[in-house]
Amino acid sequence: MAFIHTRRHFLKSAGACAALTPLVNLLQTNRAKAAAPKRAMFVYVPDGCIPDSWHPTGSETNFTLSPMTQPLESVKQHLIFLDGLTMYSGGATHEGGMAKVLTGVSPQSIDIYLGDQIGASSPFRSLQLGVGATFQDGAGSMSYIGEGQPVAPDDDPTNVFARVFGGVSGNSSDGSLDVSQLRKKSILDTALSDIQALQSQLGTSERQKLENHLQSVREVEQRLSGASAVACDISGYDDRGFQVIETDYYPLTYHKEENFRVVGEMMMDQAALALSCGVTNVVSLQWSHAVSPTHLVDTGVTTANHDASHYGDANSQNAADFITLKQWFMDRFAYLINRLASTPDEGGTLLDNTVVMLCSELGDSNLHDHARVPFLLAGSAGGAFQTGRLLDFRGTNGGENEPHTKLLVSIAQALDVNIDSFGYSGHGTGPLPGL
Amino acid sequence: MDQRHTWMAWLCGAVLLGCATGTFEDDAAFSADGSGNNGGNNNGSLGGNQSTGGTGGATDGSTDGSTSAPVGLGAEVFERCSTGTELPGPRLLRLLTREEYQHTIADLLYLAEPDVSGLPLEAQVEGYNNNALSQAVTSRHVDEYISLADTLAQQAVDQSIGQLVRCDISSADCQQDFVTSFGLRAFRRPLSAEEQQRYVALFAGDLTEGNTTEGVKLVIQAMLISPNFLYRSEVGTNQGDGTFRLSAYELASALSYLYWGTMPDDVLFSAAANGTLSTPEELRAQAERLMADAKAQDQLFSFSLQWLGTQTIQSSFKDPDYFPNFTDGVREAMLEEQRQLFIQAVLTDNGDFGSLFDPGYTYVDQNLANYYQVQAPGQGSGFVSTDGTPRGGILGLGAVYASHAHSNESSPIKRGLFIRSRLLCQELPDPPANLDTTPPGLDPTLTTRARFAQHTADAACSSCHQFIDDLGFGMEGFDGAGFFRTVENGLNVDTSGKLKGLENLYGDATEYNFADHQELSNLVQESQSARDCFVIQYYRFGRGYAEQESDACSLTALRTSFSASNYTVKDLLLSLPQLYSFSVRAE
Repeated sequence: MAFIHTRRHFLKSAGACAALTPLVNLLQTNRAKAAAPKRAMFVYVPDGCIPDSWHPTGSETNFTLSPMTQPLESVKQHLIFLDGLTMYSGGATHEGGMAKVLTGVSPQSIDIYLGDQIGASSPFRSLQLGVGATFQDGAGSMSYIGEGQPVAPDDDPTNVFARVFGGVSGNSSDGSLDVSQLRKKSILDTALSDIQALQSQLGTSERQKLENHLQSVREVEQRLSGASAVACDISGYDDRGFQVIETDYYPLTYHKEENFRVVGEMMMDQAALALSCGVTNVVSLQWSHAVSPTHLVDTGVTTANHDASHYGDANSQNAADFITLKQWFMDRFAYLINRLASTPDEGGTLLDNTVVMLCSELGDSNLHDHARVPFLLAGSAGGAFQTGRLLDFRGTNGGENEPHTKLLVSIAQALDVNIDSFGYSGHGTGPLPGL
Repeated sequence: MDQRHTWMAWLCGAVLLGCATGTFEDDAAFSADGSGNNGGNNNGSLGGNQSTGGTGGATDGSTDGSTSAPVGLGAEVFERCSTGTELPGPRLLRLLTREEYQHTIADLLYLAEPDVSGLPLEAQVEGYNNNALSQAVTSRHVDEYISLADTLAQQAVDQSIGQLVRCDISSADCQQDFVTSFGLRAFRRPLSAEEQQRYVALFAGDLTEGNTTEGVKLVIQAMLISPNFLYRSEVGTNQGDGTFRLSAYELASALSYLYWGTMPDDVLFSAAANGTLSTPEELRAQAERLMADAKAQDQLFSFSLQWLGTQTIQSSFKDPDYFPNFTDGVREAMLEEQRQLFIQAVLTDNGDFGSLFDPGYTYVDQNLANYYQVQAPGQGSGFVSTDGTPRGGILGLGAVYASHAHSNESSPIKRGLFIRSRLLCQELPDPPANLDTTPPGLDPTLTTRARFAQHTADAACSSCHQFIDDLGFGMEGFDGAGFFRTVENGLNVDTSGKLKGLENLYGDATEYNFADHQELSNLVQESQSARDCFVIQYYRFGRGYAEQESDACSLTALRTSFSASNYTVKDLLLSLPQLYSFSVRAE
């Protein structure tokens, strides 16, 4: 075996410690003084949809859900359904869709961009989480740090927990560093000096590569020094008894289909916790990946998601199966919405202060097109959006669909990041009209 | 790249629009190698200096911005060498892959099988995980590097201190010596005076609290998170003429990572120190030495996995309802079979390219012999003759068939694309948007071929699928788990077909008939396009990026030397460092 697959031990023990030791905020943040921070989530579900079975029918405020989104009925007052958005330009089919859904064919994806804009003082500028997103080495990521540089989501919920909620400590009461902190600081300082020394020898592209590296080290430094520490009560977190089994190999424990649901819940719980605590303001969550080979074992459907997505005609067994599978994902999405809506936050609930964008890499899965992509929003981002609506942009841009990049602009503006375009602007700039 | 795609899309896309019944099995087209990163529309040059406008700012809506690192020109690259003179290669920092990191740690810290499984997955470009342009260090990488540095430095101090420190570390001289000697190995070059000072400072009393072994740990920890450890430098030194020549130490690393996937050994370090690592003869002698070492075996296997896309069987799901005999033991034996084929044909026998396809033997254990229904070795594992069997060579490998297949059936289209993309470097365009690409469902009354043939009989669809499907049908003798079959669903499996466009997808009108995968294999291995493609594939792996126009003359030089060696594979591998562009770089 060229690459030796063995399981790690240290992070799990770190996680165990962290669970007993909630993070303590010794450096008071200014979070309490300011208005409630706004947060964003980007949730991906694989392989497009059957547009007529996904998009609701009716008017803006009086509409009926279609079969695929039926599980969202109980939370639809929190949602904005978006029909008629097209992902223009860029590559075709699954791959092209994956590469542009969050980038709009710009070099960086909106989650990374917003994280940099609004998360500079957060412990994590943004988090990229996955549920089987890298299973079988995955098939692309929706998050890009730079041109041609995808960010692989972390699929291991124990690893995420240890990394995000474990191991941060504040300064001692007199503000001095204890020896272990001093050591951490020293080796990070050394690394930073080395990066800067190396940068001076490089040309443009490799210098940019190291600049990204430098920013990543700075984020960690800020976290380890306690400068970005936030209060976070993790005592209520339920790890559901999930454990990574060292001998699992074909596939790994968190990639086993029977664990898809529980891993998804752990990831959603952690996302909500992280947003609630201010550990980060931006989270991406990627369910499986494009051309998803995953079987949703608790649906009873024996067809893999991608196979079912080629439904042929709307009355086929594959179509029925694809609807069932999509309903499963929407039931999980409703879980997330309920989780956010039941988490108290300044001025209301976490959902009130968040916008969640649901997306996929295709519109019609039969056609592999990028029109009528199943986008929807949840949450009002602190009142920026009025929810409980259906908006239809089919043909509203000079007879063509509106570009999804305007949706990305709307989200950025809702988070007070005032940009007028993000990536593709061939169908105009500005936010989505009427959103 | 753009021209190639546009041209091909025109050739076979234009007529596809009329295809209503749907034919394209998109997951294969999406990414024949499973990478999800090999298609695209990048119009940039190497070095990432193509700008598509600032993030958050306007970009030109008429251009295809891209989020893929540049893909390769493929077989066309040889037509782009007009001057016959090589250009300098790109200056690169090459982030260690997980595998390289692991091997390097093992050698540097004298630790067996260090656990690095938490490192993030690499992006893949053209099937390779070492693409220097697509790897970015995120804060998750940094977190992981810090955790690993802590754990590994502690293990080193506990287990290898005797090998790492050979003097009394409480003395200042010894601390200086340790930083010098360990620093040389960690950074793969001597430390600058500033670096020496920076790292010796980690022995300061307020950090070690009098325990100088703690200083050793701190130095190791700090170096393991330094970019000088994490990246292989192929940056070079300015020659004053716009080019940058790799230093002797950079060349030492370039050789050791190329052939061993790990850091240089003492001999390479000495050669770099003595100034005996610069001439083509010196590079060749070191290359031959490295290739003769057992460490070259792992690296050759790693190349073969990425070239053939067979690493997926390490983690892919196979439905036990369909493939109950495809056990973990069978998977592992299939990978070992592939590994032994490459070691035997390339390293031991010094064989030619054809010997990878037609060796007349394969390597099995008792389990796999049973699965393959071939002669078993006397005991344990070993080579057996494949005369009179469907096995032997690349197109006899179970790993190839199990990887290029679905979880519940074979995949003629994935396999056809495997030959086009991986073996011939011929890329077919994506199916056009708005085409119904629903593949046929499972049908227990038909063969897989019959199901797919129905769907590709449509004249419009067959404009592309004429290049794909027949090749896949030729490999229908193997099910989705690499098991040989002559009957499927009670019906005889027909493995005959026609191979078109062998030497040039659209420019070679010759049609070759084949009866089965072995005749297909012979046609492929004897073609110039497969030999040329092999040159390209090794170049991608060895250089850490996909070939662009500026690589055309380097590839042409390699191709010429491959031909001159009568297509001896080892000779091709040894020739890479002989290229001008290996040692000389530019922005």
